[in-house]
Formats: sequence, C-alpha cells, structure tokens
Amino acid sequence: MTTPIRRRAIVALAALFAAAAALFAFASSQSTTPANGAGLKPALTGAGQNLTNGKRGGVLTAYDSEDFEHLDPGEAYFSLDYEIMYATQMPLFEYLPNNTTVATPMLASGQPVVTDGGKTVTVHIKPNVHFSPPVNRAVTSADVAYAIERCANPNVANAYFQPYFGNIVGAAKATGGPIAGITTPNSTTIVFKLISPSADLLIGALSLPISMPVPKEYAAPLDAKKPTQYGTSSEVFTGPYMLKSDATGKFLGLGYQPGKSATLVRNPNWNPKTDPQPAYLNQININIGGASQVIGLQVLKGSDALQNDTPTNANVQLAYQKYYNQLTAVPGAGDHYVSLNNHQGPFANVNIRRAAYAALDRAALVKIAGGSIVGTVGTHFITPGSAGYTQAGGDAGPKYPWNEYPNGNLAVAQKYMKAAGYPSGKYTGNAVVKIVEANNGNSPEEGAVVKNAFASIGLNAKLILVDQSVLYAKYCGVPAAEVDACPSVGWIRDFADPQTILQVPFWGKAITPTNNSNWGQVNDPQINAAIVKATNVVGASARAAAWAKIDDMLVQKAVAIPWIFDKQPNIESANVRGISDLWDVGEWDYAYTSLKNP
Amino acid sequence: MSAAEPPMSAGGPTGDGAEAARHGDAGQAFGAETPASAGGPPPAAASSDRLLSVEDLIVGFPTPDGLVHAVDGISYNVERAGSVGIVGESGSGKTVSALTLIGLTQTQGAKVSGRIMFDGRDLLKVSKDELRHIRGNEIAMIFQDPLSSLHPQFRVGAQIVEAMRIHRSITRSAAHTRATELLELVGIPDPRRRVDQYPHEFSGGMRQRAMIAMALANEPKLLIADEPTTALDVTVQAQILALLERLRRELGMATIMITHDLGVVAQIADRINVMYAGRIVETADARPLFATPQHPYTWGLLRSIPTLDGPRGIELVPIPGRPPSLIRRPSGCHFHPRCAYALPDHATIDPELVDVGPDGHRAACLLDAAQRAAAWAALSGGGTPEQAREAAGIAEVAVPVAETEIVG
Amino acid sequence: MTGFIVRRLLWGVLLLILVIAVTFLIFYLLPSVDPAILRAGRNGSPKVIAEIRRNLGLNHSIIVQFWNYTKEIVLHGNFGYSYYYNDPVGGLISDRLPATVSLTVGAAVLWVVVGVPVGIISAIKRRTFIDRVSMGTALVFVSAPVFWLGLIVLYLFASDIGRFPFFPGSGSYVGLTVNPVKWFESLILPWMVLSATSTAIYARLVRGSLLQVMGEDYIRTARAKGLPERTVILKHGMRSAITPLVTVLGLDIASLLGGAILTEGVFDIPGIGRLNIDAIGHGDVTIVQGTVLVASIFIIVANIIVDIAYAFLDPRVRYE
Repeated sequence: MTTPIRRRAIVALAALFAAAAALFAFASSQSTTPANGAGLKPALTGAGQNLTNGKRGGVLTAYDSEDFEHLDPGEAYFSLDYEIMYATQMPLFEYLPNNTTVATPMLASGQPVVTDGGKTVTVHIKPNVHFSPPVNRAVTSADVAYAIERCANPNVANAYFQPYFGNIVGAAKATGGPIAGITTPNSTTIVFKLISPSADLLIGALSLPISMPVPKEYAAPLDAKKPTQYGTSSEVFTGPYMLKSDATGKFLGLGYQPGKSATLVRNPNWNPKTDPQPAYLNQININIGGASQVIGLQVLKGSDALQNDTPTNANVQLAYQKYYNQLTAVPGAGDHYVSLNNHQGPFANVNIRRAAYAALDRAALVKIAGGSIVGTVGTHFITPGSAGYTQAGGDAGPKYPWNEYPNGNLAVAQKYMKAAGYPSGKYTGNAVVKIVEANNGNSPEEGAVVKNAFASIGLNAKLILVDQSVLYAKYCGVPAAEVDACPSVGWIRDFADPQTILQVPFWGKAITPTNNSNWGQVNDPQINAAIVKATNVVGASARAAAWAKIDDMLVQKAVAIPWIFDKQPNIESANVRGISDLWDVGEWDYAYTSLKNP
Repeated sequence: MSAAEPPMSAGGPTGDGAEAARHGDAGQAFGAETPASAGGPPPAAASSDRLLSVEDLIVGFPTPDGLVHAVDGISYNVERAGSVGIVGESGSGKTVSALTLIGLTQTQGAKVSGRIMFDGRDLLKVSKDELRHIRGNEIAMIFQDPLSSLHPQFRVGAQIVEAMRIHRSITRSAAHTRATELLELVGIPDPRRRVDQYPHEFSGGMRQRAMIAMALANEPKLLIADEPTTALDVTVQAQILALLERLRRELGMATIMITHDLGVVAQIADRINVMYAGRIVETADARPLFATPQHPYTWGLLRSIPTLDGPRGIELVPIPGRPPSLIRRPSGCHFHPRCAYALPDHATIDPELVDVGPDGHRAACLLDAAQRAAAWAALSGGGTPEQAREAAGIAEVAVPVAETEIVG
Repeated sequence: MTGFIVRRLLWGVLLLILVIAVTFLIFYLLPSVDPAILRAGRNGSPKVIAEIRRNLGLNHSIIVQFWNYTKEIVLHGNFGYSYYYNDPVGGLISDRLPATVSLTVGAAVLWVVVGVPVGIISAIKRRTFIDRVSMGTALVFVSAPVFWLGLIVLYLFASDIGRFPFFPGSGSYVGLTVNPVKWFESLILPWMVLSATSTAIYARLVRGSLLQVMGEDYIRTARAKGLPERTVILKHGMRSAITPLVTVLGLDIASLLGGAILTEGVFDIPGIGRLNIDAIGHGDVTIVQGTVLVASIFIIVANIIVDIAYAFLDPRVRYE
C-alpha cells in the first residue's frame, strides 16, 4: 500500500511549500535595496543633532541581543559597555555626541596644561562631584589616581594601560600600587610625569573610561579578589545615572542580571551643575537577549524603545522604506580592509599588492555588506571624523593609480603585475594564495569577490571558510598560519587621535605570535620609523599631519586594501528622540536621549 | 484415537481470509454467486435442544484484488451441551465463520449474509449493543495462543474480573473471589496466589486454562474454541481437551472446537464438519466420519496423520498442493486440482452437499457411493492413492495432481 | 529492584565524571579563545596575560585543572566562576533554570495533551480524511524548523509586532513568582512553538503504536469478552501503546531541560539554553562545563526514571 503513503507525503510537501511561499511573499513585500547614495536624505547621515531641546521624564527601553563584557571603568573597552560607562560615570574628558575631535572637560574643570616640553600634564578637577551611595563623598584627585593605578593590578588588567599610560614614570613596574609619575598635590589637582613627550596621547587617553574616578577605600578590598569584584558585583557612580543597587552598592542581581537585563536609575548624588549632560530620561531598562530580527520589528513598531545592536539588513531596508525617520546611519564607525601578507608569499612583493588593490571591486563589497546605508567605499585607513582624515585625502583618498577605481580596473592591475615581473600581466608562479573568511553572514560572498579579484591577475587563490570564533584565534591572528589574505579585518578608533587607528595594525613592533592585530605582518622600515616619530609629535594639528602622511604611505605601499568606511545604522521607536555618539561608532547616548512625549 | 501430532502448520489462527480494506456495513447481502450448498439446515433433533443454527452463512471481504469468499454458504447446528468440531486447513474459513458468529468480523469490513439463530435470536439482525451483551456472556470464545491472547500488562484475575463486571453488576471483591474459584475449577494449582499474577508468569498450559476460566466467567451457553491446543505440547494438549470435556458435561455448555487437527476433534466432538475453501464438504457424527468418510479431502486428512492403531509401516500421504485462492477459486469442484480421484467432469460441475449416509451424514462429492467405498477400503488398509484409484475403477486422472508439497 | 536503582545511580555518577572530562578535553583541544586573552581584552600585553593565567589557574596541567574543578563541585558545590561575567556559575545556572523548566514542562503538557488524542483518533479513523489531514499536518510541523516557526508565530500573533496581536511577544517573560498571570501569558506562544514538533511526533508515534497494538491478539480477546469498543481502545489498547511513549517522553523532557536554545533565543526567554549558547560564543568554558553537567544530570536521571517506569508499566520487564 505505498500509494497512500506517497500521496500523503506529496500533500504535506505541497502544504509546506505553500506556507513557505506565503512567508516569502510576505517578507519580500518589504523589498529592495535603496539607491546607492543618491537621494539619501539628511536625516540619515546623523549630522546636526540638537542636544539641548529634549523633554524631561519617561522610561526608555533598550534592547541588546549581546550582553555586556565589563562594567568596571578600569576594564571596559567594548562599545556596548561604553554606553553604560559614559552614562553612569564622569571621565576627565569626553567628546560631545556630535563632535569627534575635541574633548569637553567633564570631571576636569578645564583643558589640561602641558608643560616641560610635553612631558608633564596637569589636570584640575571640579570640587563638587559626588559618588553615589554608600560612598557619598566628593570626588578627589586621589580617586582619579587610583582609577589609573589599579589598571596595572592583574586582578583588573586593563589592556589600555600599557599603550597609553605605560609612558608615565614608574608605570612599567606598576602592579596596582601607587605610581611615582602620578601625583596629587591637592584634592583637585593631578599631575602626570612622562618619560618621553607623549602628552597628546595621554590627554587623548584621558577620555577613556580609565579616567573615571574610583574610591580606593571602597574598591581596594574588591580589587584584592581574583578577579576584581569592583564592576562585577558592586560599584559606585559619578554620572547622572547609576546601575540600580542596594544600600551597599551591590548591583549584581538588581541593576544587572547577567544575560538578562540591566536597569539604570537616576544617581541621587549627581549634581547637574557640574555636568553638561541634560539626562532627560528618568530610567532606562535594558533588555538583554533575543533575536535581532524580532527586536528590530519590536522597536520599529513600538513607541519607547531603541535597538543597541546593528539591525539586520532586512530591518534596515524595512526602516528605509516605511519608518524613515526612525533610521540613522552614523559615519565614522570604523573601517574594514583586506589584509595582505606583507611578510611572505606573493604579496610580499609591493607591485603584486598594488595590482590586487587595483583589481578589487571595492564597491561590490560595500554592496554586499548592505549598500550605502552601511558605508562608503574605503580609500585609505584613517576614518571619517578622525583627525587626519581630510589631510590624508578625505573621501577620495591619496591619489595613486590603484586607488582611483572603486569598481576595480584590470588594465591598471596588469600594469603593476608587469612591473612585478610578469610580462603577461598575470601571475605565473606556483604559490597558492590562501584567503580565510568567516562562514556566516555576508562574509562568504565577500570572500568570493576577493578571490575573483586575485584570480583575475592570475593568482591561484583558495577561499577557506571557517567559524567566526576561530577566524582570528587560529588563522588571521596567528602569523604561523601563513594566511595570505583576510578580507574582513577592521579597526575602530579608541579616541580621535589617529595613532589609535594606525599604530597597532601597521607597526612592525606590534606583531605578536598569537592574538596578532597587525594582520598583514606589515614591517616596513620606513613606515616603522615614521610611526615612532609620529608618536612623539606634540600638538593636535601637527599630529594630524604626521599621521596623515603615514596613512598616505600605507596606501602608497598598498600594505592592505581598504574597502569600506563603516556607517552604523541605528533604529529607534517613533516616540524616541535618540542621540547617538558619533565618536563611539554611533552608539546611543543615554545621557542625551529623550522621549518626544514622555 | 490417540492424540496426534498436528501436521506442520504455518500461519496463525487468523490466516483465514485476507486482510480486509474498507469499513463496510454488517449484515448487507452482497450480490453474487449462488452458494453451492443448497438445502436448509440438516434435519435434527427437536428445536428446543438446538442452541445454535447457522443457515447459509456467507462472509466475503472486498479487497483491491477482488472479493474474498471467506465463507461460502455454510449451515450447521449445535445442540445444547453438544460438541461440534469444525476441521479444515488454514484458509478454509473456519475461524472467520466462528468470529462472524459473535460479530467480530465486522471490524474487518466483511459483507455477511445468512442467518445465525442462537437461542431464538438471529445474531445477524440484533443491534450492536445486544450482540455485545451476548458476546463474552452467552457465547464465549477462546483463541489459539494464550500468551498473546491475554493482555500482558493486566493481572490474570483482573482480566477475569473485567469479563464479569462488563455483563453484570457484581462487586469487585465478589468478582475477585469468583475468579479465584474459576481458576480452581479449571485445575490451576494454588489459585489464590495465581489470580494476582501476570500472564507471563503462567506456563503455556496454565495460560490456556486461565483463558478458559475467563471464558467461563459468565457461564456461557456456548464456548467456541479456536485451535485451543495448537500452541501447546502434546501432553498438555490432552489435559486441556479433557478439561473442556469435563466442563461441558459439568456445566451443560455447548462447545464448537475449531481445528485443523482431526486427532483433536476425534477426542471430544460428537459431530464434525469438514471445511474446505469456505464450504462444508462433509458433515457427520464423529464415529461414521472416521469409519466411513465420504469425501477425498477427508480421506486426505485422515491419511495424513499417523495413527497408533493403524497398520504399521504405511506411509503418510499428505494432501498435495496448497489451499486455493478464495478470490479466484478453481472451477467446478473447488477441490478437484488437488484430488487424486478427479474425473474430467469435476472441473466443470460444482457438487452439492447431499446425504451419503444415516444421521445426516452428508458430503459434496461427484463420485458415486461405490467408487467412494472402494477407494476408502483401499486407503484405510494402507494403500496408496494410486491403488485406491484403481480399486475405485478410475482409470486415469484427467487433471494432473498438483505437485506434492508440505501442506500448510 | 533497589539493587538495580543503586547500581544505575553509581553508573550515572561515573558517566557524569566522564562527561565532565570530555567537555574539559574538547575546550582544551579545539581552538577557541584563551580565557586569559578574553579577560585581558584587546591588546593584552604578554605580561598581563601571563598574570591572568596564573590567577585563573590556567597554567596548571589539564589533569590538575580537572581535578581541582571536580573537587570543588563535589566538596563545595562550587561550579567555578564564569570567565566572561565574573559571576559564580552555580548562581547563573540556578537563576536560569526556572525559565527553562517553565518552558519545558508547559510544552510537554501541551504536546501530550494534544498529540496523544490526535494520534488515537487518527489510529481509529485510519485512512479516512481526518487521518490524512492530521498526519499531513503533523508532517509539516515535524519538518518545520523551530526558529522559522517561532518567527512566523511572532509575525502573526505577537501583541507588539504581529498581524493579529493576541499574545505577548518576544521578551515578555517574567518569573512565575513575579507575576503568575503574565508568566503564563508570555509562555503561550513559546509553548506552542516548542511543542509543535513534538506534538506532531507524538501523534504519529501514538498512531503507529496504537495501530500495531490493535492488531494484537489480546485486543481481539477484549472484544470477544464483549467490552465496548471505547474500552478496548482506551483501556486495553492504550495501556500497551503508551509504553514506548513514556520512554521517549522522559528523554525528550530531559534533553529540553538542558536548554531549548532556539525557542529561548527567538522569544528572548532567559533560560539555560541561551546561557549555554552565549557562553560558547564567548569561549566561557566554566559556564559550558556547568550547563553540560546539569544537562547530563537531567538525562541520566531521566533515563533511570524511565527505566523504572517501564518496569512498572510492563510487568514482563523486571530488573534484578
């Protein structure tokens, strides 16, 4: 009796197809990609945010599908963590949401004073900023000193301490105790003494969460635990909001339930006169977890919510079509490039690198990533909004033949192959070029475009797709793996100074055997020398010029192929007047966001 | 006659008839072939003694391959406290006819016609509920494999109690006590312990006794036993048969014994019906059947079992060939392809069941009495079918006999 | 029987240790993020990373680490600390368990209550229109991926984003003790989605099992006793047909208690499944070890319970 069974199966399959077709029709009624750049209305560019005319009151709901990594100012570096940190603590300096180059004094009472040829930095702080309960007292300079010193404590282990504060006298040997080069002559003054004149770098770093004050009497016992419990279970706050805590300052289980939720309430000890931030909202409820597609819809159709993750492409398109005023795309969210192995293999030859650069259709990669809403074609390495961007050529970038054609130009590519010693314009050697990419999302498609570009100049290219979790741990971040190209490496700046964008990925001394972020193993003596020199240049505009020159050199030597300047798309509900931080990859800023009708 | 080894038997008790396909209405006559056995019920004793009278029972199963003529117009009687045997191979229709008596073939989509007069009522015409009240109550049935016929997950006592409580109001404890008594009645030792055990804790013979006990729970007037001893070994077989006999006498209960084994039937049946291909081909009281069988099929059955009191050294003669398809039956006499004595005529004429001896001894065979007597004389003396044929004066076999096979 | 239970429990403990060992080994051998690097963040200097490794005990041999870990659990009930969250793992798990239990138990009730009767009816009315429709629908649900089904259900019925806003949508889960009514409402859609596949499977299972049982001789005996058909099917038939179901049910529930990852993800329910998947993504070994351990305990216990239940259900099965 096989007939009834077969018939039943066919009926069921037909039903399944019908259901799938119905869903597909429903889903694709939210249709196509928008035009490439032309006709993008101003609201989408994220510029010109008005910071001061919000209405006070109301409760905001925020959705994160990922959880925070660190809520301790001494450890936080993840952009999602920054959202909480900057809403609940006062760093010495901070950028305004719509400014990416000049930091405004927050805890500091004015601009820092640089003396002694750039080797001494003096900062004064406001006298009437208070800690939240149970500490309550006013913040002193000693608290800022302790905040920085504890970063050398292995129980805290801040990654930025070494690169940005390592140049302070006595910092190299520090393990959490007082540092000789940090002194506090009085309760509102802190003085840094540097070994070499890297004052600008230090000042830039004072806008990082590291400078947020930490009371030693409260935190030291917590810092003695391995790992520290400050910022893990308990914390005190200086900003307009705080994580909801109990009377002892413990927020774990109350204001933060790992993997589930976080709640920000007003800090009772916050003094609005000391803080330019308006802090309109009364409370922020953060919901952790869930699927990004669903969250996006909930936010778009809801009223008082915003989404903290990058929305899915489908939701970005939907917002562009139907909820236009709820969508922003913030520039300066970083860049992505194809790293090329400068150390060995075919790409050790500069002309082959130039040929690959010229052959690559960078515009196609941008289209795959989501089109003009998510970014513009990359033409060099300093990102828009950072110092040195314009000096390095702005949107069009340095003028070199291989950089002139965003869609790729095979003729130019062949010219450089010939210069590399291949008269036919195509590679004739035996080497196999290994491209390693992630196997999820848009990555495989992007990898394929890169592979085609390499193939067009005769390279024997192999595309290997691996799980995202091992992409860096096992391949791109491990020199010994001998990977020739990683198409989707990228960088986000730490603060406005261009050193934070260019140094680690392109300096020879930054190469490490594991967890390497100089993915191309770039070790050019000229570039190395220029970098060392530029780290010691004093003065913002001089530094911008020096690093712009390095950016130019990077393109001239085609050490890697930049392909996108990222824009961060954000969506919010209809009743939300969200303000995002241009200097923090467009993350929402709770201290400036308000509800249209609270 | 002593107990005999059953011939090698494949297939289980429900081998009769094909798997039916569609639901059908019970009791609807379906158009068709006129049944071969004409004539009404056999003349017999006064009706008040007659418990069961089956008249022209026809059961067919429609299948995609055609209509299965499982039971093709049979008629027989069972007296009160009488004992009737129905004998035949698998596929002869014996089990189907029994199941139809109590209305259990309806679940297989059968088309049934005829009359089943039980104690004054036509079982084919009563309502479903009424039939259900008769079933397990006035007519009880036991089956071939007692291990698979008892629910493995209920205690034996509980299953007997259930049989009682369905048909009458009786308290659980009273029913439990009665169940224990029943187990004792059927000869199970230590009944008080046994009543609360599970079927798998009983031996084969004890299980069959327990099934009998369950069947007796409501003091039925008629007990139908479908191959009750086939799954048991020889010594136990004898005990069970003796038990059934004893119960019949003590309780005044009629029995219908369905089997393929003439040896079994020989021990306890007063009257024997031989079935082939859905019909009764010979019916007689027990003694005349064994002394002067009048149908070649019956001869084949008798000569295919070893007997202790027959001549020594004679060969067993199995019946060649296999039971016919009940969808497309052989033309003429349905038995003729396997009959060693068939004449050319027999392929076209369908014999009727006619009187061939006293006391309602009837058979459906086209040979005449003299031929039959001569043939049987030769066979019962130990002769081969060829010799019997010669003795009967049948020169040659018009239709080649089917290849000898182990009969299933 | 007691001897049997004791022996199974002992084997269970041995099995648990084996499971922990294998989990340890997997994370040790397969490439994932070194926990010390995770703690150190970007640009961790080698000195800092080495210090962290020492703090976390990562510089010991794998055997010593394993021994310490097991000792902590057995003696102190301490499941260690999450590398990522810095919180005690035991606390994280016990915090997530109620949500997963709510989800699992509710779904199980639903799929049994719906699936079994559908299966029985299909068996009784086999090959009729009802049977074909219900088994065809069952086939669709068995084939439908849970995540897809969850999204469809949300797009259709969620009160915030659905076309027919009936039920609370993703992210509306609250604990039972917090607000029983909202707890129940928020679980309606997830229960439907999580039980859809299983309802279909159980309906087909019951149908098949019952059909097979209905062909058994003892069913014929039951009818021959004069029992009404309903009793024959529901008492005699189902009594036998239910046994394979119990086995499967126990194991299904146990494996779901380890975390219904996809359902928890789509509906944003803070259960063990999500905890587990987040931890895997972060390379947070201690959490994963904890959740694997808990899931294994559930399955081992469920196995033992199911075996015991089987012995009760079917007297032919007895353990020495």
